[in-house]
Amino acid sequence: MSAHILLTTLALALVAGPLGCFVVWRRMAYFGDGLAHSALLGVAIGLVIGVSDQIGMMAIAIIFALSLIWLRAKRVLATDTLLGILAHAALSLGVVAMTLLGAGDVEVHDYLLGSLDAVTQDMAVWVIAGSGLSLGLLMRLWPGLILMTTSEDLAHAEGVHIVRYEFALMVLMGVVVAASIQLVGILLITSLLIIPASTARLFARSPEAMAIGGSAIASVCMLIGLPLAENFELATGPVIVCVLVAGFMLLLMAHLATRKG
Amino acid sequence: MSAEVSPTDHLITIRDLSVVKQGQTILDAVSLDIAKHDFITLIGPNGAGKTVLLRHLLKLETPHAGTVHHQSGLKIGYVPQRVSIDPSLPMTVQRFLTVNNDVTSAQLDSLATETKVSHLLNSPLADLSGGELQRVLLTRALAGKPNLLILDEPAQNLDVNGQLQFYTMIDEIYESRKLSVLMVSHDLHLVMSSTRKVVCLFRHICCSGAPESVARDPEFISIFGDDMAKLMAVYPHSHAHDHDHDHHHSSPSEES
Repeated sequence: MSAHILLTTLALALVAGPLGCFVVWRRMAYFGDGLAHSALLGVAIGLVIGVSDQIGMMAIAIIFALSLIWLRAKRVLATDTLLGILAHAALSLGVVAMTLLGAGDVEVHDYLLGSLDAVTQDMAVWVIAGSGLSLGLLMRLWPGLILMTTSEDLAHAEGVHIVRYEFALMVLMGVVVAASIQLVGILLITSLLIIPASTARLFARSPEAMAIGGSAIASVCMLIGLPLAENFELATGPVIVCVLVAGFMLLLMAHLATRKG
Repeated sequence: MSAEVSPTDHLITIRDLSVVKQGQTILDAVSLDIAKHDFITLIGPNGAGKTVLLRHLLKLETPHAGTVHHQSGLKIGYVPQRVSIDPSLPMTVQRFLTVNNDVTSAQLDSLATETKVSHLLNSPLADLSGGELQRVLLTRALAGKPNLLILDEPAQNLDVNGQLQFYTMIDEIYESRKLSVLMVSHDLHLVMSSTRKVVCLFRHICCSGAPESVARDPEFISIFGDDMAKLMAVYPHSHAHDHDHDHHHSSPSEES
């Protein structure tokens, strides 16, 4: 495995731990799926106006988050309904646009399930910078985000600007989803966030332990999964998720066994 | 709220606060002052606008009409009605009490002794009983060294004994720390037995003053006739008097 892929992987794994915790705590899994689905539209838009995939995906992610916040404030439909409409509208538009633009089936397939070939050196720089910035912002906002997750009322009364924090979290998810799509693929991106955090929850006693544990688990599993995918010429996303699930099952059984004894 | 203190002594001054939501008047020209070392209990039936008034007191919302003024240097300690901890969030009491503030461990120890939560510091927040959780929330509110404590129905989920203990603790803190307290309460039987100031809200401030004078106020009786009867019914000593309340079934609060 080449150095740039190794660094990309580690950068993504590090930010997936803490960010994944918020996806679990704040029940944002469906939002993550929605963001991922909309990413294909971002790729199509990137192709049309001639910017890179990542910039297209991030722009769409921010529009997606803003649309959701705006529609949710109207209080007409439930959040999961709104997410379903937005996500599938973006996915369908994306697939139609990609096909009309002449992107072949193979390329769409890579976006859906992830591929090592897609991780170029230029992209690696982008992903590492994006992950690093996201991790830095997440650490800065951490205390306020934790208080807000424990009690929104309390955080609000103690001066945490809830709307700004929530928007920041959504944008961070947009950045990380955009950054990890080539490696893990649109269909499986949410599991990269959810499974490490859930595995860490089994033994964590504090929010910080769960975040760091999540990063460690994501790193180990991705470093096991990627060479396997390379050797057997498999799509990277499904292999990584298989390893993550195996790790989760193993620790779940250990957790249940120690609790009984 | 006493008349003899000058307005500059007021921690919070509310003038003619009106709130309209979806065409419905929630608050109508409410004026209220909270002075140093006041102890105000805010009562009112469901839908009277208590929570909305509290949110404006905390400046969580912007008034449609009227003003809410905070004295400079005002520090509010807020105890929410309840917090529901998602089981996926691992959080000990100690971590909860020190997140997003600058409380030192020495300060935490003395605070925890004051509110009787020292033995709980290493417990997960999700495992606490209702009374323990309220004391932990109170501890967090006190950690910011407030000069005003605002509590939103703090004893709602406690049994009668737990309510009594919690209110006693609030009383002790009020006396020892010389702070002001504003508390929303449904526990009329406990409110009425204390000597503190009571403000009765039903979209506007109907009446305020000492409990015995408020209880005699015609507007209070017309609003609370039925609610009062219901609340008194949970009070053990009132069972024998249930028949006293039978004739209250057409109060204005039921028509709205």
